[in-house]
Amino acid sequence: MSPLIRFDQVSVTARNKTILSNISFALFPGDKAVLCGKSGSGKSSILRTLLGLYSLKSGTVYFQKIPLSPLSVQTIRSCTAYIGQEPMLGADNVREALLLPFQFKTHREHRPKEAQLIEVLQRLQLPADILNQESRSISGGEKQRIALARGLLLGKKLYLLDEVTSALDAESKQAVFDVFSDPRLTVLSVTHDTDWMARCSIIFELEAGRLAQVKRNGNT
Amino acid sequence: METLDIKLPQMGLLYGLCLLPGLLLWLIGLRLSRDIAISILRMSIQLALVGIYLKMLFNLNHPWLNGLWILIMLAVADLSILRRAGLKARYFALATFTAISSSVLFSTAYLVTLVIQPAHFYDARYIVPLAGMILGNCLQGNVIALERFYSALRKNENEYATFLMLGATRWEAVRPYFRDAVKAAINPTIASMATMGLVSLPGMMTGQILGGSEPWLAVKYQIAIMICIFTSTAIASIINLKLSLNIAFNAYDVLKDEVIGKS
Repeated sequence: MSPLIRFDQVSVTARNKTILSNISFALFPGDKAVLCGKSGSGKSSILRTLLGLYSLKSGTVYFQKIPLSPLSVQTIRSCTAYIGQEPMLGADNVREALLLPFQFKTHREHRPKEAQLIEVLQRLQLPADILNQESRSISGGEKQRIALARGLLLGKKLYLLDEVTSALDAESKQAVFDVFSDPRLTVLSVTHDTDWMARCSIIFELEAGRLAQVKRNGNT
Repeated sequence: METLDIKLPQMGLLYGLCLLPGLLLWLIGLRLSRDIAISILRMSIQLALVGIYLKMLFNLNHPWLNGLWILIMLAVADLSILRRAGLKARYFALATFTAISSSVLFSTAYLVTLVIQPAHFYDARYIVPLAGMILGNCLQGNVIALERFYSALRKNENEYATFLMLGATRWEAVRPYFRDAVKAAINPTIASMATMGLVSLPGMMTGQILGGSEPWLAVKYQIAIMICIFTSTAIASIINLKLSLNIAFNAYDVLKDEVIGKS
């Protein structure tokens, strides 16, 4: 089986500062991986680099054997769902926010039905009537789950989750973990949550932009 | 009907009028007398020089000379737009020049050759003031369009990135800011057309009436110029923003820091 993503000796500089240095790792379909480390160690930068938001100084990022380049970046983005800590819903109400990506050409043919919206919301313990609520009136935790629901509706191959459970209570968090533990989903996440880390197969520890340690199933 | 001349003593009286606001400003504690004096002096010298040049231009009425004058106006407007929009001229000068020159020249040519139809299309009496008026308004619109678009993108960087991450192409991701910027650029002209004659008498029409034209003729010229201003502002701001996208973003659709001036 070939890796879904592979970083090969990747270094990144942004505004004359090295933010990632010589990073190499691979992630296979179905893997659940966690990036951990202190603030500023480069966890989120790895996610952003994969999405082409930072220019590579050296090395190569592969997605399904295709190197990240201006030509492939759109394909990589369309196969990946990135959900951040403070997600932007980008629409006035929840229904519009969930349907936002389906306005874009790449997803236009796959617009979900109302029942699918409700089903995905319920999996994340959100009530169906939240669909009509205004985006500005919903809480931070609800916003995080709506962004996750939007990602799930897109049916992506890879989920990049950046501290997405920071505003969730224990029950909602477990619901999110249950959904993303699905063996069909590949997840690369940034979190300090020990419950989620316990469910993951790989833990990457970062220190000052370097990969300091890789733990697999509890082994170093 | 001939316009009455303003003789030198009367011009002196006119400058004297500024003493009244100057005194009032001084009384409320605004020490602006130096700035006001410099501005009035600059205006007088600049307009005197333009007057001399225009007189020469009108007398010679040579197509190349008229064209050169319009080219200079376009170049000055180009740099002025970018400076006021906070964008770096060395990256955007060509795009902005292309946008404003194509739209202003098109509108002016349309107005002069198809509508006014003077004996010579290059007649300085028509093309110089008309191109100048269209360009002046187009300049305002383009400053607003570029400034609004790039400040919205900087302010909503996360939202823009979210759109990209949700599968939007660059064009799909910038479209909301693009539309807002074009709307902001053309809104003053639309508002101005809607209230024209009710709120204020337009400058060109007033000028023509003072110059001895029949009011009805002045009205027709005013309508013509407003339509051309609207057309050129809309076209120029759309072309300008579209061309700037290829300069301001890298191949990964990320806004380049180095090409955008300090906000």
